[in-house]
Amino acid sequence: MINKKAFEIQFNWIFVLVAGAAIILFFTVVVIKQKNVSETSTKATVLKSVEAIITGAGVSTDTTNRIGIPSSDINVDCGRVSIGEVSKQYQNLILFAPSLIKGDKLITQTLAFSTPYRATNLLYITSPQLRYIIIGNSEIAKYINKSMPAELKKEFYKSAPEIKNSNNYRIRFVLFDNIIAFPKALEKLPDSDVTAVKINGDNEKGTAEFYQKQGSSWTLKDTSSYIGKQSLLGAIYSDTFEAYECNMQNVFSRLNLVTKIYVERTKRLMEGAVTGSQIRCNQFYSNALTQLNSILAASSGFSRENINVIAASANSLAGENKNAQIYSCTLIY
Amino acid sequence: MHIDLLNFNIKMKRAQIQIGETIAVLFVFFILIIIGFMFYVKVIKDNIDIEKEEMSQLRSVGISQRIMFLPEIQCSEDNIIIDNCIDILKLDYAQSIMKENEIYYYDLLEFSDVNVVQIYPGEAKWNIYSRKTEDFSSKFVTNVPVSLYDPASRKHGFGVLTIETLFK
Repeated sequence: MINKKAFEIQFNWIFVLVAGAAIILFFTVVVIKQKNVSETSTKATVLKSVEAIITGAGVSTDTTNRIGIPSSDINVDCGRVSIGEVSKQYQNLILFAPSLIKGDKLITQTLAFSTPYRATNLLYITSPQLRYIIIGNSEIAKYINKSMPAELKKEFYKSAPEIKNSNNYRIRFVLFDNIIAFPKALEKLPDSDVTAVKINGDNEKGTAEFYQKQGSSWTLKDTSSYIGKQSLLGAIYSDTFEAYECNMQNVFSRLNLVTKIYVERTKRLMEGAVTGSQIRCNQFYSNALTQLNSILAASSGFSRENINVIAASANSLAGENKNAQIYSCTLIY
Repeated sequence: MHIDLLNFNIKMKRAQIQIGETIAVLFVFFILIIIGFMFYVKVIKDNIDIEKEEMSQLRSVGISQRIMFLPEIQCSEDNIIIDNCIDILKLDYAQSIMKENEIYYYDLLEFSDVNVVQIYPGEAKWNIYSRKTEDFSSKFVTNVPVSLYDPASRKHGFGVLTIETLFK
């Protein structure tokens, strides 16, 4: 009898144990699922915020914003922005940014890309946790230092100083004179976390050499070109040659489309300027049309040769527009 | 012997009743959890629908903003942008450019229909972009009053920019 009673009590305990385990298992599964859903939802919310920033900042020129977001790691690739497994693909995205944006703050800057008429807005996004070290004694070095937002963690030196590691997730060197010796304090950092861009040129055009840390020295990855301060800033914010080239290709595609419209508009202005004082305007439009056609042909692809053509034509076109203004003609752009 | 068997039967029945009670409690417990879970799913689903609607509205505003600031149609004076102004000479050719490069502009303008209607002087209509979908779940129409500038005659007219956005 005692054995049977003991069996009854034991069975009761086993039953309670099994039921309890089932309940705990059920709630554990629910909590884990909910955690995953919540994480994905947060990432999607941040991505939507980034999307809204891309739209909002993309339409307002010459603005700088500091935007708070939930702490996240945003990966920026050619035409792709992703946070973990949540991503958004764009066909013609113009966004100059480091490949990884970390932290709970974003700094955005927007500048108009004009050659000399506005073709598109260039959007730059970075993190205040990323360290920018600008080294140079030229006018363009000072100009770039002034053009970069004060909210950034940037340091400006006239000559190479002794660099200390201040535990930033990435360091970007912007060099205007010569390539500097690799700082000893940064030798232990992962290779992908330390990059440099060396600028050769002026405000108008030049080349940008993309370097990356390799062990305890710099290795030249590739060389690209820039046209205007806006694309030079693009080369500074993008930490890889591929990202910069991809964005500039998209900029040129847009320039090509906008130029087509200006070509047709100028033709129409020429057709209308055939009488009286308008004849003088006709000459300006004719000259402008030559320059616009030259920009149209050169904007078919992003290359150093095309940049030279566009820079020269943009100057001439600006001159023709000035002439049109002096003689009270309708402006070309 | 008979009494022992009777006691045993009584205890067995009591044990069975206890187990039955426990099962009944668990059954009710799980029923309550299922009801709670169904309620939770319903609330989540409603929230997702509200969020989807808000997102569609946000995207619609974004598309409208992009159209308003397109250099392809905006007026400018020595590269200084004039807000809420559309250049008619640009507009004439922007129509065909945007139709030829529909895939390029889809990335910016998604499923939408963009028209500029001139109200004064005279009436005219330009369809800048049109890419529609049949199976849309929400539709937003934004009307923006704009100034229509004709650079050839240097005269301003008045019109409305109508942006119709469709979302699946």
